[in-house]
Amino acid sequence: MSLNVIILRNLKKNIKNYYLYVFALVFGVALYFSFVTLKYDPSLDVMEGTIKGGAAIGASSVLLIAIVAIFLLYANTIFIKRRSKEIGLFQLIGLTKGRIFKLLSAENLILYFGSMVLGILAGFAGSRLILMILFKILDIEVAAKLRFSIEALQQTVIVFAAIYVLIMLMNYMFIKGQSILSLFRVNSTAEERVRKMPIREIIMGVLGIAFILGGYYISTQLFGGKFVDMAELMAAMIAILALVIIGTYLFYKGSVSFVFNLIRKRKKGYLSINEVLSLSSIMFRMKSNALLLTIITTVSALAIGLLSLSYISYYSAEAQARESSPQDFGYVNPEVKEQFTAALDQAGIKYEELYIPVFYTSVDAAQVMGKTVYQKDEDKQIHTAVISDSSLGNVDVKPGETRLMGLSGALKNFMPMKETGELGFWTAEGKVPMKLNGITSEAVMPYRFGGGSGVFVVDEADYQKLVKVSYPSSQKNVPTEYYGLNLKDRGQMKQAYEIYTAQESTGDKDHALRLTSFSQYEFEINQRTSMGMIMFIVGFLGLTFLITSGCILYFKQMDEGEEEKGGYTILRKLGFTQGDLLRGIQFKQLFNFGIPLIVGLFHSYFAVKSGWFLFGTEMLTPTVIVMVLYTVLYSIFGLLSVVYYKRVIRESL
Amino acid sequence: MAILQANKIYKTYGNKFNKQEVLKGIDLTVEKGEFVGIMGASGSGKTTLLNVLSSIDRVTRGTIEIEGKEFTAMKEKQLAEFRKQHLGFIFQDYNLLDTLTVKENVLLPLSITGISKKDAHRKFEQVAGELGIYELKDKYPAEISGGQKQRTSAARAFVHDPGIIFADEPTGALDSKSASDLLNKLADMNQKHQATIVMVTHDPAAASYCSRVVFIRDGQVYTQLNKGEEARQSFLGDIIKTQGVLGGVQQ
Ligand SMILES: Nc1ncnc2c1ncn2[C@@H]1O[C@H](COP(=O)(O)OP(=O)(O)OP(=O)(O)O)[C@@H](O)[C@H]1O
Ligand SMILES: [Mg+2]
Repeated sequence: MSLNVIILRNLKKNIKNYYLYVFALVFGVALYFSFVTLKYDPSLDVMEGTIKGGAAIGASSVLLIAIVAIFLLYANTIFIKRRSKEIGLFQLIGLTKGRIFKLLSAENLILYFGSMVLGILAGFAGSRLILMILFKILDIEVAAKLRFSIEALQQTVIVFAAIYVLIMLMNYMFIKGQSILSLFRVNSTAEERVRKMPIREIIMGVLGIAFILGGYYISTQLFGGKFVDMAELMAAMIAILALVIIGTYLFYKGSVSFVFNLIRKRKKGYLSINEVLSLSSIMFRMKSNALLLTIITTVSALAIGLLSLSYISYYSAEAQARESSPQDFGYVNPEVKEQFTAALDQAGIKYEELYIPVFYTSVDAAQVMGKTVYQKDEDKQIHTAVISDSSLGNVDVKPGETRLMGLSGALKNFMPMKETGELGFWTAEGKVPMKLNGITSEAVMPYRFGGGSGVFVVDEADYQKLVKVSYPSSQKNVPTEYYGLNLKDRGQMKQAYEIYTAQESTGDKDHALRLTSFSQYEFEINQRTSMGMIMFIVGFLGLTFLITSGCILYFKQMDEGEEEKGGYTILRKLGFTQGDLLRGIQFKQLFNFGIPLIVGLFHSYFAVKSGWFLFGTEMLTPTVIVMVLYTVLYSIFGLLSVVYYKRVIRESL
Repeated sequence: MAILQANKIYKTYGNKFNKQEVLKGIDLTVEKGEFVGIMGASGSGKTTLLNVLSSIDRVTRGTIEIEGKEFTAMKEKQLAEFRKQHLGFIFQDYNLLDTLTVKENVLLPLSITGISKKDAHRKFEQVAGELGIYELKDKYPAEISGGQKQRTSAARAFVHDPGIIFADEPTGALDSKSASDLLNKLADMNQKHQATIVMVTHDPAAASYCSRVVFIRDGQVYTQLNKGEEARQSFLGDIIKTQGVLGGVQQ
């Protein structure tokens, strides 16, 4: 019989085994191709102004390659394992390992590149859908046109050819490293036995938990002032990543298997049906499970973390716009303001006006600053604007006291300050002591005035005294007065904004107006568009991670289900009902899907907590929303696997 | 009293176009406390018969009653419950769970009876001791020999003192010493605990432990031998003679 005949026969016979592999391939290729198609889509250049959409997609496609490669390699391991008996048989009838490898490679080649064509077609169709979603998020009104991109095709073919080589390498090593006997019983050997002295496990488990907690601890300290320069910060981040990932692995390998061992040992061989189906089945594959669970956990944590951060920034767009321009509109130049208000009056739009004169000074905050990135006392100076409480109207500060208003979340984390304490205002006549009495994060002046550190509000009498002795040099080339306008009816915002932009475009060509007039609405839109792009990319990656990790787990469960089918037959012969078995399986799935999810949620929570303030102003709500959504989507895979098991159990007798 | 009664049972495998009738109207009655042997050529339908008698498989036609209850019409769930509570199995291909150790495999049927861990352990020590597998208790099925698997399978069938034991070639993979140990254990269960036993075997020596041997041929009961007051040796002779008449592998 020629090799070709054998290949064809095999292809036909194994078609059932292949479908999972083909699905993984088509899915991976489609995903990658549609993503890369976006990168080369000319309509994305529209957004070049805000953020380089193409570049961002390019960078993330690297991540995508990694996850797709892991996914395919995993699908391949299941695939080749299922066929180990067949490979053993070939060897038994005298085929050499080299010849078997050739056989498999040829067979794979047909399959692999066949699925790739399918995947590219699916990806082509999918990219249009994705583009439409993207435009929807960004509020861009461009029709999503479809263009078949040759560059994207090339890139996809190169990437997947490389993965093919990787897969072949893996198959080669698998065949090489196996004896006939081990190929025949690859499914029936236990990876984890009930041991008498699991000291190694205990050490491993404790180390794992310690590593994870250590990683969490460093993450909470990340921006707390411990790590001063960029290099240290990088090192700390890498340390966190390494600690948490290794810790997770050890946790699964050590703690989980230790706890399981303990439970199982205490049962003294007397297991209930639930334990037979969950505990012993999981322990039976503990070694490969530990690695897989680690991957799933990491990928989940990554996905949740990324999704949370991007959603935080999108969610915080409004708050950040308020930070940039606390009033609906703001002007530095009274003439320009007059023009604007005149136009508003004409349009019949009612508003409230706020006038705030300011001066700038340096404030010695050495007494109130805690540990910060800045360690020397001369660095603990805040250079910012000072205003009078009477300008704000609704704020009253006692003489000799001051309040810091508008300290941003990010800065608060970089330089923690006590709420009260002694400050020194530098003036031409020396340092004037003032008592700090309260810090609020709510901004009262546009970002341009105080930066992230906010502005100091003092009593009207103090203001008059201080402004007289302020350094004249500090007041040059900076706005010394500010007009804030709040619309009475925010429903007229769009109309007012139109007037604002019309005025801006007829103003000076040198963009001076941009720096001297502010619109909260504009800030919000800009934030939304730029974050929308990132959110889209991150969301795409996050969903990809979710689907791949869900699929990997599902495949794994399908594989286990096939393997354990014989066991279900036996149990049913012995008189256990389908319901008994299904309950045990649900228990097992609770572990298989639940543990990585819970650990992943913890990981991502700490990851988000360590740096969320760089992305926005509100952490809890968006993070919880993302987590709940993720959990729901992820559980679908768990449910699907139970449904699959249900069928396996039903067909087992 | 008849504990098991099969009336005109038929079993057909395959679909409309490719039918194979394996059992063709078998009548069989097993009294409580009997030790019945079933013999017949390979492929004659012994395992099939055992499967339908023990409710693992359904008959195509005919009825089977256990303790006066007809179960051919019973719901799957009731059947499972019945098997779990009252039946013990020693399967031809052992049927051990790969994921469980020998001890866990053996104790499996006990888990639903709700007896205490201590009693379960005592029970295991006793059964495993008698069958010589106590030392293997923490090994997995993949790590023990065929005969050891068979003895583990037997231990599992005995551990919950079932009312009826179905054994399919329980001595097929055993040397003569272990075989006679196992058969003595079966005879013991039969005499001391009044357990009813239905055993399929190829081995006339094994069959000579039974109180009655049923011969199957062409999907029908060919003949039966009763031991009565006979000694085992002469019963063995009868069995061998009948087997000779019956002939070998069937077409
Ligand atoms: N699930 C099945 N599907 C189709 N045919 C079957 C099935 N099980 C058994 N058979 C057929 O039924 C016939 C009887 O099989 P059975 O296993 O009952 O024989 P047996 O008497 O136990 O043989 P042995 O002594 O070799 O174990 C055989 O011809 C077999 O091919
Ligand atoms: Mg048989």
